Parts: sequence; C-alpha cells; structure tokens
Amino acid sequence: MQETNLVSPLSNASLQLEIAELMVQSLNLEVAPEEILSDSPLYGDGLGLDSIDILEVALVVSKRYGLQLKADNEDNHKIFSSLGSLTEYVAKQRTR
Amino acid sequence: MNQPLNPETILVTEPDTKQAETQLWLASKERSNMSLLRIMSWISLKMGRSVGRLFLHPISAYFLLFSAANRQASCEYLNRALARRATFLDLYRHFFWFASTIHDRIYLINKRFDLFDIEIVGKEAIRQQLAEGNGLFLMGAHMGSFEVIRAIGRQIPDLRVAMTMHEENAQKINAMLAAINPEAGQDIIGLGHIDSMLKVRERLDDGTVVGMLADRTLGEEIMTPINLLGDVALFPNGPFRMAALLRRPVMFMAGVYLGGNRYQIHFQPLADFSDIPTGQRAIAIQNAITTYASLIEQHCRKTPYNWFNFFDFWRPAQTNNTQ
Repeated sequence: MQETNLVSPLSNASLQLEIAELMVQSLNLEVAPEEILSDSPLYGDGLGLDSIDILEVALVVSKRYGLQLKADNEDNHKIFSSLGSLTEYVAKQRTR
Repeated sequence: MNQPLNPETILVTEPDTKQAETQLWLASKERSNMSLLRIMSWISLKMGRSVGRLFLHPISAYFLLFSAANRQASCEYLNRALARRATFLDLYRHFFWFASTIHDRIYLINKRFDLFDIEIVGKEAIRQQLAEGNGLFLMGAHMGSFEVIRAIGRQIPDLRVAMTMHEENAQKINAMLAAINPEAGQDIIGLGHIDSMLKVRERLDDGTVVGMLADRTLGEEIMTPINLLGDVALFPNGPFRMAALLRRPVMFMAGVYLGGNRYQIHFQPLADFSDIPTGQRAIAIQNAITTYASLIEQHCRKTPYNWFNFFDFWRPAQTNNTQ
C-alpha cells in the first residue's frame, strides 16, 4: 500500500481518464469517459460489464501499458472491481 | 453490452420463468443423479455394460411417464427434427438415448474405450488446426456426449480439451468426475469470474483446446435470434464473442450416439477469428452463430435422438417477438 502513495493523485486522474477512454472505445459504451466514476463497479450493476467485457478491458489495458494480467493473481477481483482500483494497479505495474 | 444493438439482436433481461423451472428441475435431477450415479457406477463397473444397460429401460420409462414437461418438450422437438408427428417409440428412444450417454460416461471416464466403437469424422481438419499450436475453440451443444470426445486422445495425441462451464455446474461435474475417477477432474474451467477469461486465454496460449457448449445462455447476455428447424430460437453471443476477442479459430464438435456401442465424433470448421479486424468483429460473430445453428440443425436431422435440451428451446424467442 506504501507504493500507491508514491503516485501523485494528479497523474492518476489523467491516467484514469485515459483508461476510461480505452474502455469506452473498445467496448462501444454509450457513456462519456468522464461519466465513469472512480468507484462505480465495472462488473454487473454499475457499468454492467460481463466477464467477456472485462476480458476485453484486460486485453486492451495490458497491451497499452505493457503489463501482465495473470489468471492466478488473487487480487484480480479487486483490480477489476472499479475504474479507480484498475487505475491504481496500472499506475503501479505499467512498463510503458 | 458492447455489441452495437442492431434489430437482429435482442437483449434478454428477464429470465424466462419456464426456463427457470426447467433449471430447477435440472438441478434437482442433478442431485438425485449423484446418488443414482454412484449406485449405477458400481453396478456398471462390477457387472458390465450390458447388465448396467438393463437398468436404463426402467429409468427411461420412469422419466418418460412422470416428467410431463420434459416429455412435451421432447415431443415438440422431435416433431420438428423428424418432420412428422413423433410416435411413442420416438419419445422412448429420445429418453433412452439420453440415459445411454449418461451411463456410458461411467465407462468413458474410466477409460474403458475398448467397449466402444468410436468413429471420428473430420480428423484431418482438427489435426491441421492443432498443428498450428495456437489453441482453438471447440463449440458443442447439449447434443450427444462430450465425454466421448475425451476418448479421442488415443487417436489424436495432442488433443487436450479443457471444458468451460458455469461455476456451479463446474463444481458439480468436478465432484462427479472425482467420484468416478479421481484423475479425471483436472480440465474444467468455471465461468463467471474475472479470472475465468484469463484462464481461458492462458490455456489457449499453451495450445490447449477450449471446449464450450454454446447453445444455452449463462444468464443475462445478448442473444441472437436464428432459425432452427423451422422456427426462431435464441442463441447466446458470449461464446463467439470470446473466440473473436481471443482471435482463435473455432470448430464445431459433436459426439453423437448411434445406438448399441457406437459413437460418431464430428469436427467441422465453423469460423476463424484469427485475422478479423475489430470493426468487422460484430458481423463475424453473427455469421459464426448462424453457421453454428445450421450445423446443429444438420445433426438434429441426421441423428435426432441426440438433442438433450429437454425444455422448449424455441419459446423464449417467441415470447420476445410478441412483446
């Protein structure tokens, strides 16, 4: 948890918007990227994505930021719970 | 929800009550199946397949006589597939075929392939796909026996099949496999988690074949109405969306029972999403589902007693169209 503090909230906000844009674009969502709130759930209620949508997000995000999303990662459920948690994970793990 | 909503696509939001009842029935049947299966498994392995099969007649007769909803669904389906009025003998065969394939699982899981006469149609086609080494999807239906497809490891050595299914069913099947043969339960991927899709991808990257039964929906998802045996039925988009996203070839599979100890496995090319640009994905998915439905129809006509959706497969589409 210490590491998250190293990432400034400001850069996270622009990264979050960037990830929201990726999601809207790849999933043809009918919302504006700005409308996706940091803490609204991605899965089920909230944005209403299903597991295949989540897979698509995972594929796009890992390609764009050069990170690996593994099936055996116990934190996956947390990572994909909201836009904010996904952004936090990307900020920590990105290689580009 | 990412699909452009064209008029051809219907979003099913409310589970059909009739279907819910059916699932309830299936669930309770599944439970009694477990103890029945243990007893049958013991009898069948100790006394042999022909003795075990004697019990299948009273079991089939019981379900035929006392399960009106399933009998009616069977009758309506058979009328379509046979293109004539189904007789009592047709109905009996349909139930007996179902019981036979479940019974034969006991032997197939225990690798008693010597008991069966299994023919593979389309061996070359699947061998070529396997040689590419990039993994592929095998789409089946609730038709015949998918357990028999495990049997072909003997003839196609590189074929490792991981089946995907709904988590609850996955646990049940794993428990069942473990009860019959402890070594057998390794290759089931439960769906409905974030992880499950990543697992599917990892298995494909290993060159594993991922099998799915693509004729029933897992719940709330986009369905495509397609003509099957004369009327519109709804098919889920999910399995083909997954294949498109992971850019893999898709083959159709069916392990149909032909009576006696004979099975016939079919592998047929269905779609290839390897080089489909993102913009053309939606239409490619629609085309794949249409091909899938026509392959199902082909097998329903040829080997009609192998269709194991014992509920009104067509009704949800009709309900939706009149709304």
